[in-house]
Amino acid sequence: MGQVLINGLYSGVQYALIALGLTLIFSLMNVMNFAHGQLYVLGGFVTYYVYGVLGLPFVVALLAAGITLAVVGLLFDILFFRKVLARSARDESTMLLATGTALLLDSLFIIFFGEKHRGVPTVISGVMRISNNIFLPYSRVLIIIISVAVIVFFILFMKYTRCGRGLRAMAQDREAAKLMGVNVDRYSMFGWALAAMLAGLAGAMLVSVSGVNSGLGTWLSIKAFIMVMIGGAGVISGAIIGGLMLGILESFGSSFLPGNQYLAIFIALIIFLAIRPRGLLGRQ
Amino acid sequence: MTNYFETKRIEVRYDRVLAVSNVSIHMQEGETIALIGANGSGKTSTLRAITGLTAISAGEIWFDGRRIDKMPSDAIVQAGVTMVPEGRHVFPLMSVKDNLLMGAFLRRDKAAVQETMQRVFTLFPRLKERLNQAAGTMSGGEQQMMVIGRALMAKPRLLILDEPSLGVAPLFVQEIARAIVNINKNEKVSVILVEQNSRMALRISTRAYVMSIGRVVVNDQSRRLLLDDRVQKAYLGEELQPIEDVGEGDDKGKLD
Repeated sequence: MGQVLINGLYSGVQYALIALGLTLIFSLMNVMNFAHGQLYVLGGFVTYYVYGVLGLPFVVALLAAGITLAVVGLLFDILFFRKVLARSARDESTMLLATGTALLLDSLFIIFFGEKHRGVPTVISGVMRISNNIFLPYSRVLIIIISVAVIVFFILFMKYTRCGRGLRAMAQDREAAKLMGVNVDRYSMFGWALAAMLAGLAGAMLVSVSGVNSGLGTWLSIKAFIMVMIGGAGVISGAIIGGLMLGILESFGSSFLPGNQYLAIFIALIIFLAIRPRGLLGRQ
Repeated sequence: MTNYFETKRIEVRYDRVLAVSNVSIHMQEGETIALIGANGSGKTSTLRAITGLTAISAGEIWFDGRRIDKMPSDAIVQAGVTMVPEGRHVFPLMSVKDNLLMGAFLRRDKAAVQETMQRVFTLFPRLKERLNQAAGTMSGGEQQMMVIGRALMAKPRLLILDEPSLGVAPLFVQEIARAIVNINKNEKVSVILVEQNSRMALRISTRAYVMSIGRVVVNDQSRRLLLDDRVQKAYLGEELQPIEDVGEGDDKGKLD
């Protein structure tokens, strides 16, 4: 039981990173980024090449994944989303655009990275023994520590820096933020970079334990949406709770209903949303 | 004499609809002018043009010797023009303190920002009591004071207020009117006041422009307009209704 919970928390902290990025883009731009899972996959592949193939230290791979994805996030905004948002404020336009972007990335991944599932050597070997029957490999301990550190850093950044304040203001009232002197174009770009970077870091960590393949993106986007629906869209704490909850549900599901865990999760989600459509911590 | 602030025959269009046409307004440094007129007369569109939220399709806007109509909104704030928008637009989930700090977004000198915040507290002592409360949970009048304070945090030289009495309890309207006079006289900020509550606006301004269907139709001394029955009847509606309190009420503030 304790082991199942620990495994759930391990997935959960990584999921929280993904959900944070998705909810950030949603609250800043009102864009449902269906390509968010693909960003995560790209982070995984960058790590595979830098750490697995080139053999550079894992920290370097982590940084490379973060930076690469931040740049991809910037390009997403400049090349695609900004142009469409300037012409059409309708939600469907950006949803279609995001879906198209996801398909584009999926195809590029297949072309450049192939279809094989790629793994990398473990970062740290050994297993931590928490109690008599609860074990946690050190490689997973490391991931939990890094994930929690990134989440804490993100929260502090949003809460206490001028830049974070600008982003929050923009999410709450874009026009008022403009009147305060926030350059909303620049901050949108920054928001995209930040969100993509979070996805990239999560992908980098995942590859070190479970590996990565070109087809994972869509499934991860769906998972990210489940987390945001559980926690409530556009709320930082909601994304974190949604991520942790999905991780734990998944872990319990796969030990008690192996193979059918997502059937159970989806049924539970439908019932939950019927009762509480805005999620646990969502507004209005 | 050159004007401190001036719009020269500006025009604003939304797609094909002409919202503002041929509007020329000017003021000297230190003046308080009013822009009045019924709903839909083009007041808000004029302000959106001045603050860079909406592009003008013809004309020019000048402030303190610089042409500002091609500038993005953040550059206009930097130049010294700040607006309190209609409907307040607080950042509802942020604390009063963070809202005020947002007002000083473009100012890098932290000590000077703190000093301005103290001045805002002198003007609106209530804000100091509510510093850590989420702005969205305050009453309409308190929110209005906060957004005026937030605008002052930018240290503007020209302050534009769009309908500051809308949705505010009568008691607060008096306090806000006093604050505007105070800001103009003591803080040496020039003020453009836009109001449907024309009586309040005419009392505290020196000159006023009356707008109707996107144009300036009358431009005169405020005290003369205040006494002019024809203007009141023709453009501002027969009777001036007392303003209703549509604020949330004081008890809402006790939630936290």
